[in-house]
Amino acid sequence: MLDDAQSISRALKMRDPGLLDRLIEQYQFRLFRYLLYLTASRERAEDFFQETWLRVLERGHQYDGKWKFEAWLFAIARNLVLDWHRRKKPGSLESLAGPDEDAAAFDLPDEKSPTPLEQVLETEIRTGIQLGLERVPAIYREVLVLRFQEELQIEEIARVTGVPLSTVKSRLYRGLDALKTAMTSALGIER
Amino acid sequence: MTETIHQRANDLLKRKRVEPLSREDELWLAEHLVQCDSCAAADAQMDHALSALRTLHIHVPSNLASRTQMRVRIRAEELREYGTAHRLVWAVAVVSWILGLATAPLVWRGFSWLGSELHLPKSLWIAGVALWWVLPALAAAGVVLLAQKGHSGAAE
Repeated sequence: MLDDAQSISRALKMRDPGLLDRLIEQYQFRLFRYLLYLTASRERAEDFFQETWLRVLERGHQYDGKWKFEAWLFAIARNLVLDWHRRKKPGSLESLAGPDEDAAAFDLPDEKSPTPLEQVLETEIRTGIQLGLERVPAIYREVLVLRFQEELQIEEIARVTGVPLSTVKSRLYRGLDALKTAMTSALGIER
Repeated sequence: MTETIHQRANDLLKRKRVEPLSREDELWLAEHLVQCDSCAAADAQMDHALSALRTLHIHVPSNLASRTQMRVRIRAEELREYGTAHRLVWAVAVVSWILGLATAPLVWRGFSWLGSELHLPKSLWIAGVALWWVLPALAAAGVVLLAQKGHSGAAE
């Protein structure tokens, strides 16, 4: 596993193609998932996925290995999405991928629980989560995904999003509230 | 139990998922959750939801990684070629500067001789020396800028 930030940093400075191939393989799921939540569009997520790795190649020398590679990677992806969005329509992530936009972008849930009853319950909660997340405003959805899906530290989320720690925390609190409300409502609709 | 107590429990449940609680808050919350079924259920529901969030399935297009790897390799090759050309331009610039400095007295004398032969005013042949120095540098800078513009255009 390529988990040594310093060795990734050294190899990126040399634009080692082998390393980039391995990083693309290793982070494809997480980066695509993050982009999907940011853009709420599979096509856009695919475009940004490729652009992000091209940017990693070009700006690899800027990664100093002082923080996790994925935090740097997500920051690049996020900036690309924001740049594109600003060019299209001046604004910020707040106006991006709102609850009503392209809501069907996410896949149907896995069904891997052992018994039929557990399977139904699991499907229900996952569907609730998906529908709930889609209804959470993008600005909160982003920090929820970074914290609870990508399991980044608060400091790393602050780096990725470029906001102070206090803002990250307050967005997380509001995001948890919004998720709870949205999930309750989503599960209510499903039932 | 009062609404304020449930509100405090709710706040602490949120906070524990964001940052560590103080020992006092932690103990209070644990005690409250033992006594309050609805808060305990809400906690368990959120735990379950967040754990489901972690394992949520997203389908990644099967060839996305290979397509990206291909694009990255092509771009890496372009950058290598551009880097070589860039280094060559710098090497030529350095050599021309050294030659320019070395030949500066000769150029000055040459222009001075030409000025006196053609009976030109001193300011005119001095301007000639200045142009002799500035024009090639400006032309080279123009070429480099054009190349860079083309390079960034291709990148986009």
